[in-house]
Amino acid sequence: MRQSIIILIGLVFASACKEKEIVPKEWVLSKTIQLDGVNPIGLSQVNGAIWLSDGDHNRLVKIDKEGQITETIDSLDRPMHIDAIEETLFIPQYGKDVVETVDKKGRFVMQLTDSLDAPAGVSVFNNERAIADFYNNRILYFDGVNWISFGKEGKAQGEFYYPTDVQITNDKIWVADAYNNRVQVFDKKGGFVQMMGQDEKMNAATGIFVAEKEVFVTDFENDRVLVFDKAGKLLQVLRDQIEKPTDMMLKDKKLYVINYRNGKLNVFDKQPIEK
Amino acid sequence: MKKSIIVSVLIMFAVVFGATAQEGKDKFMVQVDGLGCPFCAYGLEKKFKEFKGIKNVKIDIETGDFSFSYPAEKALTLGDVEKQVEKAGYTPVTAKVERANGTFEESSAAAMMQKTEGAVTKNVMVAGNCAMCEARITKAAASVNGVTDVSWDKDTKIMKVSFDAELTSLENVEKEVAVAGHDTKNHKAHTDDYGNLPACCKYERLSYKK
Repeated sequence: MRQSIIILIGLVFASACKEKEIVPKEWVLSKTIQLDGVNPIGLSQVNGAIWLSDGDHNRLVKIDKEGQITETIDSLDRPMHIDAIEETLFIPQYGKDVVETVDKKGRFVMQLTDSLDAPAGVSVFNNERAIADFYNNRILYFDGVNWISFGKEGKAQGEFYYPTDVQITNDKIWVADAYNNRVQVFDKKGGFVQMMGQDEKMNAATGIFVAEKEVFVTDFENDRVLVFDKAGKLLQVLRDQIEKPTDMMLKDKKLYVINYRNGKLNVFDKQPIEK
Repeated sequence: MKKSIIVSVLIMFAVVFGATAQEGKDKFMVQVDGLGCPFCAYGLEKKFKEFKGIKNVKIDIETGDFSFSYPAEKALTLGDVEKQVEKAGYTPVTAKVERANGTFEESSAAAMMQKTEGAVTKNVMVAGNCAMCEARITKAAASVNGVTDVSWDKDTKIMKVSFDAELTSLENVEKEVAVAGHDTKNHKAHTDDYGNLPACCKYERLSYKK
């Protein structure tokens, strides 16, 4: 009897220990959706629906779960990395040097204090705004009161060689420094904080998405998405079905990656690693 | 019946007018090096919008083929087009135009090089790893008669070389760098030359389109 009790206690302890074991997870491709006649460059969501910028066809399209187009915003000039807040879409138009907003009230051009030369990406975070100003090799950032500009052409830290995407988070501004093949991170005064991906032999880091714990970067020419932690440590390289990727987004715990050239939307789930 | 005749006449006018309009256009075809992504392609397109009246712009990112039509009366030259491609940050490889009067003009890479006069600066990809590679690459390039300045960035793998175009060409510089053991964008180093490099300089070989 006593022996049985000891064994029982042992089993309880063992199972308790097993429950506490942290199972490592990684992103695994779960679905690929072929889009019809869309060459996506950026993506965002409004009320749970996915919007894609279709640069080649000068439009934005809203798609359903099967990838079918349900709504279109036309008459744009090379829309690039878009963003959204609440029900407003922000659309940088590379060919027209403007950022346009679209909501239920209509279409408006964002008023800036400076001129753009090929805006390639926009980010909105509460009342903050940031724009990747491609040919001017700089980032324009609005803190809710004032606009500031930081960066210039170059390869040193804090300098850019054609920035293509930007994302504002709580305390930082993250930049896809495309043709320096790296990510650069800044504080909200425009001061350089850190760099990542510079040793990963990327060839055009064209898109960035920053999640709570991970940073996703598209490596356009190498057909990869690199996943880093926020300190810049490479966690995973995604290749499955990825071909000329341009942007990513996390939505409902799923990672969406768009392929520009073959018009595919790849969906990844985080799954336990098989031993 | 009367209505059909009017419609037919209108269509005929449209066809004739369209053909005339087409006749009034020069068709330019340029092959551009360095286009890799939509940002590059749209950038090239954007810079050419400065040519007022440009129409039918087509860019193939895969092949680098870029074409457009332009009013013949503006007499746009191939030189103007090549300069604009360079202004956008890319390198024209070949350029040709079919004039509205049916004549053709063409400039190849070699012809472009010959036309270039005076000091020019070019960027080109050169494979390598380290500071030793940098020293070898710049030494090889600098040994070419006519080269006035050269640098190579081990992070971007880009060699920036300035030279007198009347004395040499980018092709000559690339060949000399390849002889030193380093693959360049247009010249692959011989296996023996690559094999002679020290272990730390054994870079990843470049792949070349056949």
